[in-house]
Amino acid sequence: MKSSCFTRASLSSILQPVFPPRSNPGRPVFCSTAVRPKPRTPLYLRPPAFRATFSELQKWHIWAKNKATSVGPTFSDLDNGPDSALLHRELNWLVEDAVENPNLIRACLDDTAPVWLRACLEELYEVWRQRIEERRPFQYVVGCEHWRDLIVSVEEGVLIPRPETEVIVDLVDDALKRNEELRNGGVWADLGTGSGALAIGIARVLGGRVIATDLSPVAVAVASYNVQRYDLQDKIAVREGSWFDPLKDVEGELSGLVSNPPYIPSKDIDGLQAEVCKHEPRLALDGGANGMNDLLRLCNGAASMLRPGGFFAFETNGETQSKILVDYMDAKMKGSFCNTMIMSDFAGIQRFVTGYRT
Amino acid sequence: MDLGQETAAVVEASTSDGLTVEGIIANNWIIYDENESDWKSHAAAIAQSIHLIKKRLRWKKLIPRLEILSEQLNKPDLWDDPTHAGKISREHGSIMSKMKEVNGFEQELFEHIDMIKLAREENDSELELVGPHFSLSRHESLKALHTLRSNIKEKELEALLAGEQDSCSCFIEVQAGAGGTESMDWASMVMQMYKSWAERRGFGITVVDEMPGELAGIKRATIKVDGEYAFGYAKAEVGAHRLVRISPFDSNKRRHTSFASVAVIPILGDGSTRVQINESDLRIERYRSGGAGGQSVNTTDSAVRITHIPTGVTASCQNERSQHQNKASAMAVLQSRLDQLEMERQAKINAEHTVSLTDINFGSQIRSYVLHPYRMVKDHRTEYEVSDPDSVLEGDLDGFILSFLSASLDKNKDDYL
Ligand SMILES: C[S@@+](CC[C@H](N)C(=O)[O-])C[C@H]1O[C@@H](n2cnc3c(N)ncnc32)[C@H](O)[C@@H]1O
Repeated sequence: MKSSCFTRASLSSILQPVFPPRSNPGRPVFCSTAVRPKPRTPLYLRPPAFRATFSELQKWHIWAKNKATSVGPTFSDLDNGPDSALLHRELNWLVEDAVENPNLIRACLDDTAPVWLRACLEELYEVWRQRIEERRPFQYVVGCEHWRDLIVSVEEGVLIPRPETEVIVDLVDDALKRNEELRNGGVWADLGTGSGALAIGIARVLGGRVIATDLSPVAVAVASYNVQRYDLQDKIAVREGSWFDPLKDVEGELSGLVSNPPYIPSKDIDGLQAEVCKHEPRLALDGGANGMNDLLRLCNGAASMLRPGGFFAFETNGETQSKILVDYMDAKMKGSFCNTMIMSDFAGIQRFVTGYRT
Repeated sequence: MDLGQETAAVVEASTSDGLTVEGIIANNWIIYDENESDWKSHAAAIAQSIHLIKKRLRWKKLIPRLEILSEQLNKPDLWDDPTHAGKISREHGSIMSKMKEVNGFEQELFEHIDMIKLAREENDSELELVGPHFSLSRHESLKALHTLRSNIKEKELEALLAGEQDSCSCFIEVQAGAGGTESMDWASMVMQMYKSWAERRGFGITVVDEMPGELAGIKRATIKVDGEYAFGYAKAEVGAHRLVRISPFDSNKRRHTSFASVAVIPILGDGSTRVQINESDLRIERYRSGGAGGQSVNTTDSAVRITHIPTGVTASCQNERSQHQNKASAMAVLQSRLDQLEMERQAKINAEHTVSLTDINFGSQIRSYVLHPYRMVKDHRTEYEVSDPDSVLEGDLDGFILSFLSASLDKNKDDYL
């Protein structure tokens, strides 16, 4: 099963991350000079360069379906993981991404009819085995996540953007609609950008520019790649560094600030579903003892980074953290912020804290 | 506005010796096969088609409707409300063009009859000298009648789909009736039947929502069917569909009766007046979300359900790959549902102008599919039946659909004039 198709170097379509012109003024101030990891091209964007016969593909498909069925409720009972129904849906999506003409799989073709794939059959066997046996997240398997109307490239080392976070873009959009001053452009920041999903999402509703930062070099590379895929190099600069460090040049000038920082209490992480705790980067999840280390830090930073009237939106772990954060702002940082509000996600969990710099 | 055309629609046309469409039909001329060169046979067939088309278009109601619309179009403040004005002028235009077309057919018919009669009285060669207007020979008139006869046959079909929303795309929704796995399996067979039907017709199909049953089949599902006249055809399927068979889920091999109900919702074009939805009237929920959500959970399941609080109407979607897109799809379904409710309400208000079939009772049983002890599919509304259930379940539905559409439009005993 280990065949040459795993030497990814053969995938000529891998794109080198390109630094946005504006964030690379000749001397990379905040960017580490180390060689950037090369982001992986999502499966659906790879060329359909692998040939298989219809019956080989069918055989794989039946094998994969049986594997999904065999899971039953095991994972969901164990740690809230995916059940068979969900795995079957993911399998459909894998076919959608991997097969040049996905409708073929339901057709009645000749056994020997050729079908074209974006990964060789051995790889398809291997990745589906990883999905089921190792609980490798589906999004890492296909190299992308559908998020809002975007298809964001992701890979190991970068948090898979969550559906809850989609709402932050709506919150920004609403704030812009209500507040004329915000519509006049200015620079925004997305701190801990990960895949860059949020930065891209808000750049598309904003008039102005966005600076996206992350401490992780993999995240910086993947975010840059996504920015480039959506042709937003002129609007979004991706910078490497810890929280506000790479933003010294815009201190007190930010029109807006969004962040989904790590917020899970350290001790909770090992109890999460295997897809998360075994595969996603700890740096993206671990928020310290009560999960609030980074949120509080961002809160302090926001006071000095935002211009008066500047808007912020933070994602939290839920009701408890949201309340602590709002209390902290209203009491400990009295006078710094106004109109602080807690907003719920679609599941009704009090997920976001928004407000304005006074 | 060209009033001349409108009055032309009201004045009854005839041949120069006073023969009308009604008159031709009353003559009871024998209708032979199309290939027989008999002008009376052609004329009788054409007259019948014209009669049928007028009936299907509800001719009698079109004329007063046109008057109302013209009156509104003449109001100076009409364009203060551009959406309304657009709707009025579109409807006016569409009625005008339908009437013009039918009147054109009538005129053509009479002209050819006149020609043929004239040619019989006089000599063909003489006739050709009279001038360009009378230059058609009797033979050519006969040929023209023959062509008209086959053209108008196609128009009969088109007239079946002349309702206001008929040309729209639509959602088809199938819901399993009571009875557990057996009816959920039936519901998925019905859904499959529509998917195959839509595929055959060349319509685009997207699954919007699908709630699988615990063991097999579906509790409910919604598909979007994209294409011209998707709604016009599919609306004929609204109602309860009944299956009789030996259930594969019954170890005792007993005969079971199950039901699945079908709803069809038109997707109005952008030009139509649509119900305004207030964001604040909506409750949006993510269902089957895993506990804490956020960073703690990585699930590809981002199903969304939207409830329109004032009406209680809900819509959900779980088949897209992002929550945002699930929400957008669910919103589209919700919008169409609310639009449909509004249309039903309007239709009740001006009951005399119901060209659509919105008065169908969703619960009423429209068709039986019997697989045991004999094999047959029978429509209870039209008595149309087929002895091969497999072909029907594979999407061969057009016979049922067309017979229902013609029955429901043609049964009208009261005449069109
Ligand atoms: C929960 S993830 C959010 C990623 C992305 N914004 C999203 O919503 O999908 C948190 C991100 O913060 C980054 N991060 C953690 N510590 C950081 C720090 N000290 N400075 C900057 N970024 C940090 C992680 O690398 C990770 O990408």
